[in-house]
Amino acid sequence: MTNFIEILIRGLMLGSVYALVGMGLTLVWGVVGIVNIAHGEFVMLGAYFAFWAFSLLHLNPLLSVALSIPVFFYGGMLIHKRITERLIKEQELSALILTFGMSILIWNLAQFFWTNTYRSVSYLTGNFPFMGIVLARSKTVSFALAVGITAVLFLFLKYSKLGKGIRATSQNSEVALVCGINTVKMRAITFGMGIALGGAAGAIVSLQWVIFPQMGGSYISKAFAIVVLGGLGNIQGALAGGLIIGVLESLVTQYLSAKMAQIIPSLTILIILLLRPTGLFKK
Amino acid sequence: MKIRVGLSIAILMAFLISVPFFATDYWITLLILVLIFTVYASGWNLFSGLTGYTNFGLAWFIGVSGYVSSLLIADYNWLWLLAWPIGALFTGLVSIGVGYILLRIKGVYFAISMVALTEGTRELFGTEYLTPLTHGGKGVPFVAGIRLPTLYWSILLLAFITLILCYKIFSSKFGLRLIAIREDEQAAETLGIHTTKDKIIAFTLSAFFVGLAGSIHFTYQNYIDPTFAFNIQLTLTPIVMALFGGVGTVFGPVIGATLFTFIHEILWAELTLLYMAIFGAILMGLILFFPQGLLGWMKEKGILPRSRKL
Repeated sequence: MTNFIEILIRGLMLGSVYALVGMGLTLVWGVVGIVNIAHGEFVMLGAYFAFWAFSLLHLNPLLSVALSIPVFFYGGMLIHKRITERLIKEQELSALILTFGMSILIWNLAQFFWTNTYRSVSYLTGNFPFMGIVLARSKTVSFALAVGITAVLFLFLKYSKLGKGIRATSQNSEVALVCGINTVKMRAITFGMGIALGGAAGAIVSLQWVIFPQMGGSYISKAFAIVVLGGLGNIQGALAGGLIIGVLESLVTQYLSAKMAQIIPSLTILIILLLRPTGLFKK
Repeated sequence: MKIRVGLSIAILMAFLISVPFFATDYWITLLILVLIFTVYASGWNLFSGLTGYTNFGLAWFIGVSGYVSSLLIADYNWLWLLAWPIGALFTGLVSIGVGYILLRIKGVYFAISMVALTEGTRELFGTEYLTPLTHGGKGVPFVAGIRLPTLYWSILLLAFITLILCYKIFSSKFGLRLIAIREDEQAAETLGIHTTKDKIIAFTLSAFFVGLAGSIHFTYQNYIDPTFAFNIQLTLTPIVMALFGGVGTVFGPVIGATLFTFIHEILWAELTLLYMAIFGAILMGLILFFPQGLLGWMKEKGILPRSRKL
């Protein structure tokens, strides 16, 4: 029984990080209308950001997580203003193919400059006992960080003026424009936020797992599963979806095999799209 | 006019058929790749270019058919001539079911579901549960005992048939119905078009021809494994080729396939490590600056007539 609870907790901790990635994707998709296939690559870049800050500048990884948010936010805004904003009026599929190109461009460049070596940040190592079960220190800290970022995001979207503007743009871009909301700016900010969430998630990931240039692929498939589970543009749904995927992965890895766990995202996407295309939750 | 076009096609075909008699093996293999990717790109274009349903699962067709035929050759000692069509037929039959289920999903979600199908199948083929059948992640090396010229003539024949089929479909009422689905599916349905049926037929045809080329591809490589067979690159490259030549045109994918195979050859030799990055950049550039493709652009400028037969 303790074993089962431990697996469950491990799954939730895993899921909290996946949720960050998924919330970033669903935010951009829902508000901006761009399906960002390159989202996983920003997770990878976030992980390398924390890694280089740690190994070259000896920066505390927790500080890099905080720093990655503004860096990726402005980077994302720049990418949106220069590239993706042009595709707003085009078909959704143009953006899909474009970000696909961006994705392979980014990972191949990362591979070229940083090679395929597996790297990791050895900062918080070891375990500690907690109420009769054993938890890894790095994973617990990651969990706390992910929960913190999620809470800030929710409060921001719910109460700040900017957050309300973003939600208005998401609900009806034209009416929002008529009400005096600068929707072009809102889209740029949202895109930046989505990328920042991916980058921060990546910085957190580097604390607990090995990182490599092609790691984005596994995160993008999980992020899609999360978006589909939670319903498009539904942030709370994405949080729940992330936790579900994390727990499922943890359970399947334990009771079936690690290889089988990799099928979960694809299987989830197919099943949910066929049975409940609007996601598990009512919006 | 018609006689002249027919004559030039006949001369071109005669030339292509005679290639193995004077060219070196290097040029034959290069032409084999051009022809394989011509079928991939045309097959993708046949379904996605006409219906507007972006198929991001081309590698699934290629992989499934490639696996069936490779396993038949490797484990059951089948003759390649029999194994190829069986692989393609199997893919076509499964695609009827897949199409029936997945083609009710629209737009981006369809694209994602096809990616999910490909990724899921790849992982599944690598698991220990299917290892007795698929040999797992370590792959299947095999020798089909086919000579290079024979392989070349087979794929040449397939490419020729595929293009004639595309030409016939693009200028037929069936093609017109598919274009109607692309422009406005609901309106098409209101006009009495049986959209589900037409979509599934186009999807299955695409699966069959792409699958057949996939079988030939892996026989040519003498090897198959899950990462290789269900590789996203096998989906991506034909899409780039079709995009460059012009989506929804008959001959656009041929031009794209020819050009990009040679670009691939040069880049791969000179800039192996940055090959994918350049490919990604080209893809982005095409979407941003050249979305209508070469033939689409030429039709717009009036260099070519605005005909569906091109």
